[in-house]
Amino acid sequence: MTETHQHGDVEPITGKYVHVEIEGVNHRVYVEENGPEDGIPLLCQHTAGNNCQEWRHLLTDENLTEDFRIIAHDLPFHGKSVPPTTQQWWTEDYTMTAKRFTETLVGIADAMDLEDPIYMGSSMGGNICLELADWYPDRFRALIGLECGAHSPGFYIDWLDHPQVNTTEVNAYACWGLMAPQSPEQARRETMYLYEQGATGVFKGDLYYYSVDHDYRDKLDQVNAQECPLYIVNGEYDYLTTPEDGRQTAEGIGEGATAIEMAEIGHFPMSEHPDLFNAYITEILADVTGDRDEDLPDVMTPDDVGIELHPPAPAREKPAD
Amino acid sequence: MTETSFATHEWWESFKETVNDDDEMKVRGHDKFNENFYIDIGDERVLIRMDGGQISDITPNPTMNHQWSFGVEGDREAWEEFVQETPPAFNHEIIASHYRSAVRNEDGHLQLTGDNKRIFQNLRAFQRTLDLMRVAHNNGGT
Repeated sequence: MTETHQHGDVEPITGKYVHVEIEGVNHRVYVEENGPEDGIPLLCQHTAGNNCQEWRHLLTDENLTEDFRIIAHDLPFHGKSVPPTTQQWWTEDYTMTAKRFTETLVGIADAMDLEDPIYMGSSMGGNICLELADWYPDRFRALIGLECGAHSPGFYIDWLDHPQVNTTEVNAYACWGLMAPQSPEQARRETMYLYEQGATGVFKGDLYYYSVDHDYRDKLDQVNAQECPLYIVNGEYDYLTTPEDGRQTAEGIGEGATAIEMAEIGHFPMSEHPDLFNAYITEILADVTGDRDEDLPDVMTPDDVGIELHPPAPAREKPAD
Repeated sequence: MTETSFATHEWWESFKETVNDDDEMKVRGHDKFNENFYIDIGDERVLIRMDGGQISDITPNPTMNHQWSFGVEGDREAWEEFVQETPPAFNHEIIASHYRSAVRNEDGHLQLTGDNKRIFQNLRAFQRTLDLMRVAHNNGGT
C-alpha cells in the first residue's frame, strides 16, 4: 500500500444505510461508496464472513473513481448490516444459499436504483456470478468473478463454528494461505483482522453456499454470458479456485466468458495487495467499457501493469538477537 | 542456511531458536500452545515437543514412548518447496498444501494427520511454527 496520509486528511468514502427486501424480510444494509453520482455503478461484494472494508483501497483509487461510482456493501449479518429486527435470528444457524445471495445482490441494486451496474465479487462473491448470469442475465452490464469456479468443495468445516475452538482467530487464519506470500504483510494482516470481526457462525454459514450449495459442474450451459459478459479472474495462489479452474469454467460456459489469471496474488486480491489488484482490475474494467483496444491476456503479471513487487517476504521477521 | 542443509541437526537447532525467539508465538494466547506434533520428511520423522509456545525438544525417530497430537507428512521435494523464501503456489502454507492433497487428491503436497480438533484449537500457533521453518531456512529473510 503506497498511500500516505497526514493528520486531518478525510477520505472521500461515504457510508449510509439502505433498506432492502430479501425473501420477504426488510434488512438494513450498510453501503460505502465513492465516485461521481453519474459514474458507471460498480457494485462490489466482499468474501465469505468478511465485510465491505476489504474494498477500501479500490474505493479510494483516484483514477478509477473518476469514471466509476464504486459501491461496496455489507451483506446482512456482516459488518455494519445488523440482523433484521423482525426475526428471531438467534434461534437458527445463519445459512447462506444461492437463492438468498442472488436476491440480496439484485435487491441492493434495485433499492439503490443502480442503472446497468457492473457487478464484481470475490470468492463466494465470485462464484455467485454464475448464478447471476443464469438467473438474472439482464440486471447487470457485466459480471466480474474474482476467484470464481464452478465448484469449490471442502471448506464447509465444522471447526469454524465450534465452542471449543477460538473461532475468532481460526476463521481468519484458516484463510492465511489463501493469500500469496509475496503480498505485503501489512495488507495480509489487515485482511486477517477483518476476518476476526465476523459474528459467530456467519463465516461457516456463508461457506454452506460456497462449498455445498454452489455446484455448476453439470450446468455451465445455463450460464448466459452472451447476454451478460462474464470475466473469471483468479489469482495464482488461490488454492480453492485456481486459475486453471477459472479457465475450465470459462470454457464450459463458452461465448461471453473470459478467463484471466492474475499472477503473484491470491484469493483476496483487493485487500491482500491493493496496488497490484487495482492495476489489474483497471485493465479488465477498460475491457468492460470498451476502452481497451487489445484482447486481455490469459495471464496478467505485475510487469504488465507496471507494478514492482516488494522483495519476497513470506514471513521475514528476523529472530531477536 | 542453504537448501542442501535442510533438516540436518544444525537446521533443526536453528529452527528451534527461531521459534523460541518469535514475538508472535508469545502473544494472542499462542504461549498456551502445548501440543506435540511430528514432521515426516519422506521416510524421516522428527517429533517437535511444544511447551508454552516454545519448542522444548526436537526428537528424531520418535518411538511408542513418545506422545503427539498431530503431524504433517510429505515428501522431501514438497518440504523443500515449502521452505523457499517465496514458495510456489499451493506448497506455500500448510492448509493450502493439505487442501490440494486431501480435497483435490493431488500428489506432491503436504498432508495433515492426527486430531483435527486439536489442530484447529491451536491452528495459528501451529501454522506460525511451520511458517517459521521458512524464516529459519532463509536466515530470517534477507
